Amino acid sequence: MSDVQKKVITIPEIATVVEVKDEIQDVKTFYLKFDNPEVDANFKIKSGQFVMLTVFGYGESAISLPPSPENDRFHLSVRKVGKVTDALHNLVAGDKVGIRGPFGNGFPFEEIKGKNIIYVAGGIGLIPLRSSIVHVLQNRKDFGRIIVLLGARTPKDLMYQNDIEEWLKIEGFECYVTVDQKTEGWKGETGFVNSLIEKANVPVENTVAFVCGPPVMFNSVIGDLMSRGLKDDCIISTLERHMKCGIGKCQHCAIGRTLVCTDGPVYTYKQIKTLGEVI
Amino acid sequence: MYLIEKNNVMKLAEELAKSYSLYGPVVDKDTKQVFFNKVSSASEISLTAEIPSIPPKTVVFPQIERILKYNYDKDAKKVEMEPDFDSSSKALFGIRPCDLTGIVVLDRFFMGLEFVDEVYLEHRKRMFIVTNTCTVPFKQCFCVCTDSGPSADEGYDLNLTDLGDVYLVETGSDKGRAFAEKMGLKASGPEHTLEKKNAVDKSISLFEKLATDNKAWISRVMNRVTTGFIKEEVWEHIGKQCFECGACTFVCPTCSCFNIEDHNKFNGSTDRLRTWDSCSFEGYTKMAGDHNPRHPVEDRRNKRFFCKLSYSQSKKYLRPGCVGCGRCQWVCPGDIGLPNVVTYIRREITE
Repeated sequence: MSDVQKKVITIPEIATVVEVKDEIQDVKTFYLKFDNPEVDANFKIKSGQFVMLTVFGYGESAISLPPSPENDRFHLSVRKVGKVTDALHNLVAGDKVGIRGPFGNGFPFEEIKGKNIIYVAGGIGLIPLRSSIVHVLQNRKDFGRIIVLLGARTPKDLMYQNDIEEWLKIEGFECYVTVDQKTEGWKGETGFVNSLIEKANVPVENTVAFVCGPPVMFNSVIGDLMSRGLKDDCIISTLERHMKCGIGKCQHCAIGRTLVCTDGPVYTYKQIKTLGEVI
Repeated sequence: MYLIEKNNVMKLAEELAKSYSLYGPVVDKDTKQVFFNKVSSASEISLTAEIPSIPPKTVVFPQIERILKYNYDKDAKKVEMEPDFDSSSKALFGIRPCDLTGIVVLDRFFMGLEFVDEVYLEHRKRMFIVTNTCTVPFKQCFCVCTDSGPSADEGYDLNLTDLGDVYLVETGSDKGRAFAEKMGLKASGPEHTLEKKNAVDKSISLFEKLATDNKAWISRVMNRVTTGFIKEEVWEHIGKQCFECGACTFVCPTCSCFNIEDHNKFNGSTDRLRTWDSCSFEGYTKMAGDHNPRHPVEDRRNKRFFCKLSYSQSKKYLRPGCVGCGRCQWVCPGDIGLPNVVTYIRREITE
């Protein structure tokens, strides 16, 4: 047990904001670097994990990790939505933040090798999926079809547009985008993201789907994927909850018999169905 | 096992006070209410007092405690951070078996799982525990139904049992044995062991008179809560009686949900405070952006009893989450303390 138990978890590590990038309205990406070089060198993550981010003077929030576990800059993409994130959005390069983590189980990687991978994201639901997408693309030859289905309210609300352009250069990467309301100059699809499932002719055999987005989208996408014949244990999602500790002690994130911080945040739909009160 | 005369028993506390901060049951002079407080002198402690209104979990898990202080100089971009753990040595003198079980449950939860909670560990590391066997039950006790009394089996350094003129002193750890030897206590004989057994048996029979309603039903109800075979209407009925005051969770020896808040001070520094929280509060699960996955009050009540009675939660504690102290029954203004919930579920099973 002793190597599993991580002791120093209540005290955040100090990190410096290196660069701030505007993504879409109310969402910014913060590139961070730990002040302690040893911590910086040893900071290893798994796709799907999260960190507890301290904005000094305001408090701590659970934030998902978008960087890939391999060769990616440490960054967090955060929407301005409450006290801590409002304060975070006021930070500029050079400011300090606190980081604890990473916490959580993370997305499967080894287990899904050789399969077709479908990512379905609504709005900023792409943030936690980005890590896995980049990781899978970095190991392109190990996977079958890689499809990203993306929905957003308007073309201006599409996350990571530069990244998507980069990914499209990779052979065999498929990306379909739709918006709820089109604005002038939008030549793409309109409609909800589940309309893309048909358009992309999503495979069912030997396929794993990652779904992340607002509750309404989540339910209808899962319904459509299931009716195409995808099994509930091949649909994977990541949940968010109010969290205070990240290490399974404060109990705020309890769902059924599990805790999102230590048993999650990544669950299969098979697990989600048995938990109740999820969405 | 050792013996100590009744009028000498406080000498143990006096000796402990030399190397530990001493905590024990204290009867408030004016209100006659019992509290488990830090005392300045062993003479304040009463070994005959009822179980304290607030459980001694406050010693290992205070209602409010600072875990970190930091100062962020925004202009100089400099952070000074200092962890603030309470690592003082504490002696709990005269803790009741149910409350000790509560601490054992908290130990397993905070220190026995994948992650160890350092704040709790620091409180707990240098602790000396002296339990006090309950030879008579108090008004709402039902520890006999939850396997946590009336005498303690584990987790103590010394265990006292009132045998009339003398206290039987049992030792539960090397630390306890060394202390008993140091105090020069005289050894007890087999007749005293028998006397203790008789005293405990008598106490259990008195308990049984008090707890007949719920005895044997706790395990049935645990089974029902675990398997989910309880009608939604029962939870709704229970939920409707809940005032959402959080009192049950605050007086519960095993409730350990906490909140963490950063509190800015006038001098520019910030205290990170860890405070008790309660699953009965509506804001407990509310996320930024106002989405609340657990909304109706019955969902939240359901959660508390799930935590106390389900098998999956018991796996974390290695025993039921309820220790049968009956405090939730005292304090609940809506009359849905745990024993009553057991009764409601029992009615649903039998009717």
